[in-house]
Amino acid sequence: MITEPHKRIPARGLLAWRISGTLHSVFPFVFSGGAIAAAILFNWPIWVIGASLMFYSAYAYLVIMTFPSLKWKRWRYEVRENEIELKYGLFVIKRTLVPMIRVQHVDTRQGPILRKYRLATVTISTAATVHEIPALDMDEAEELRFFISQLARSAENDV
Amino acid sequence: MMSNPKRLHPISAAVNFLKHLKEMLVPFLVFVVFGSRGGNGEIVQLVLSIGIIAAVFLIGILTWWRYTYRLEEGELRIEYGVLVKKKRYIPLERIQSLDLSEGLLQRPFGLVKMKVETAGSTGAGEAEAVLTAISKEDADFIQQAFSAAKNNPSEPEAEMQNREVIYKIKPGELFLLASTSGGAGVVISAVFAFVFQFEEIIPYEKVFTGLEGFIANGMIFVSLLIFIVFLMAWLIALIGSMLKYAGFTLIRSEKELIVTRGLLEKRQMTIPLNRIQAIQIRENLLRQPVGLATVYIESAGGSIEDNESARLMILPIVKKTRIAGLLKPHLPQYELQPGFFKAPKRALNRYLWRGFLWILPFVAVPLLLFRPWGYFSLVLLVLALGWSHLKYRDAGWDISSQQLALRYRGIVRTTVFMRRNRIQSLSVKESYFQKKRNLATIEAAAMSGAGGTGGTVRNLDRKEVYAIYKWYSYTGLKQQKKRP
Repeated sequence: MITEPHKRIPARGLLAWRISGTLHSVFPFVFSGGAIAAAILFNWPIWVIGASLMFYSAYAYLVIMTFPSLKWKRWRYEVRENEIELKYGLFVIKRTLVPMIRVQHVDTRQGPILRKYRLATVTISTAATVHEIPALDMDEAEELRFFISQLARSAENDV
Repeated sequence: MMSNPKRLHPISAAVNFLKHLKEMLVPFLVFVVFGSRGGNGEIVQLVLSIGIIAAVFLIGILTWWRYTYRLEEGELRIEYGVLVKKKRYIPLERIQSLDLSEGLLQRPFGLVKMKVETAGSTGAGEAEAVLTAISKEDADFIQQAFSAAKNNPSEPEAEMQNREVIYKIKPGELFLLASTSGGAGVVISAVFAFVFQFEEIIPYEKVFTGLEGFIANGMIFVSLLIFIVFLMAWLIALIGSMLKYAGFTLIRSEKELIVTRGLLEKRQMTIPLNRIQAIQIRENLLRQPVGLATVYIESAGGSIEDNESARLMILPIVKKTRIAGLLKPHLPQYELQPGFFKAPKRALNRYLWRGFLWILPFVAVPLLLFRPWGYFSLVLLVLALGWSHLKYRDAGWDISSQQLALRYRGIVRTTVFMRRNRIQSLSVKESYFQKKRNLATIEAAAMSGAGGTGGTVRNLDRKEVYAIYKWYSYTGLKQQKKRP
């Protein structure tokens, strides 16, 4: 059997995901807060407050704690001479092989949160599919991009 | 002969005019219907309308006047644009395919419309050029130049003689093809869409309440009505398909496959053999039981707008057992009749569960809320389970040296054949439940036009799936090569 990919997302990536998870939970926060305020103002039954609190805390816990941890724990990647291998997934584990000679181009993308932690998202495009490594060290991302463009230049384009 | 800039046939001015007019039809109607506010307005409106039409006409002519094309230094050079002059130079060897069609406007003048397609990655149909009306001689000339640029430039003459007809549709097959295509469904939905467009004009509700008593007594009448609507839709679809696929011919020239078809609008599509990305065999529910199938080729050409040229039908309807024999001499690197490895017995459970969960809401809701009629929804459950069983039976894979074949069923049974060097990426998926049963899903992607195609087969034996994965991996092979 092929050796499993072993490289992991840097631990800073987990932190960045938690922050973006926090931002994601703003909307349910406003929603539950509104429901609680309305319940107090209009004398709605008490369970509305309880349900809202439950809903928000469950949502926030999943989005800030559980999902990022699981995602980080599962994510593996490896860039070899001839191919890129990815392994990820929360509930369904997916392993993908992308041969170097099939790679058309590599993009790096960086939002404000990732930038703060010197991370970048790397997107690898083939003629048919797009693959993503969600958080890589910036230097490593740059290196990867350079590496792949080097390889792409030498490989014959036979699409 | 063609190094001087040439214009399209003047008829293309009319084509432009009609095209612009069609695009403007809706805003124009809105303007005419809602614009008039009594008295003076009508005259203003009339003048404006005529003005607009005249302007569109003028633009059509100008567009034609400014549009020139020529063959120069191995490039197809097109210059166009009314206000901003644009130039598009397409190197002949960059052209993926040339499509010829003869529409109603072109035919009386012996002209053809030529569509030039380059690799799809540029997106949005921008990369292609359309010569709306050129003479057949010019089209031939461009085609020969294209073939010559693709292949050995020295002998374009031999190229023309080396043609071989692989397949030509017979009248019986044409009828069979048209009568078993899925086109009827499309026509029916179009009819419904059309009918409900007029909801505001025709008081359906009143009509329906009036009919209610009648309907209650006349289930037979309603059934008959529905039957007639379906029959009509099927007939329309039948005629449509017959016109579309009449005279379907597949020709092999030196390095290309050429498809010609159509009665009212003749189309000719050319695909270089070395641009083929994958081969697909599809068997729909009506055709599969009698052993008939349709064969498509996925190519790298085509644009987002026109997906038809990326997935080209090469054998419209043919006995499945004949496919390999017909295509083997022309596509020798493909093994089209492999023995398939099927999903293991323990996978059946997974398929049935999947089908069950999908259909559950549609069965449970009527069952709980609308008794006693809701019990009929149990039929759906039986259908879904039967369907899942079919999916289980059809799941399969095979590797023959450099080719991966995947067989699976969505609605139609699809078998896709991909060469290893045409597979863009390969994935293995394992869910918790699959892992418990030692199963996994394989997913392969190939290129097709501007997007992707490929296949997914669920719940195969995990070991087999990883064997495919290993077969695809470049690492193992390269390492072996390095060690002497």
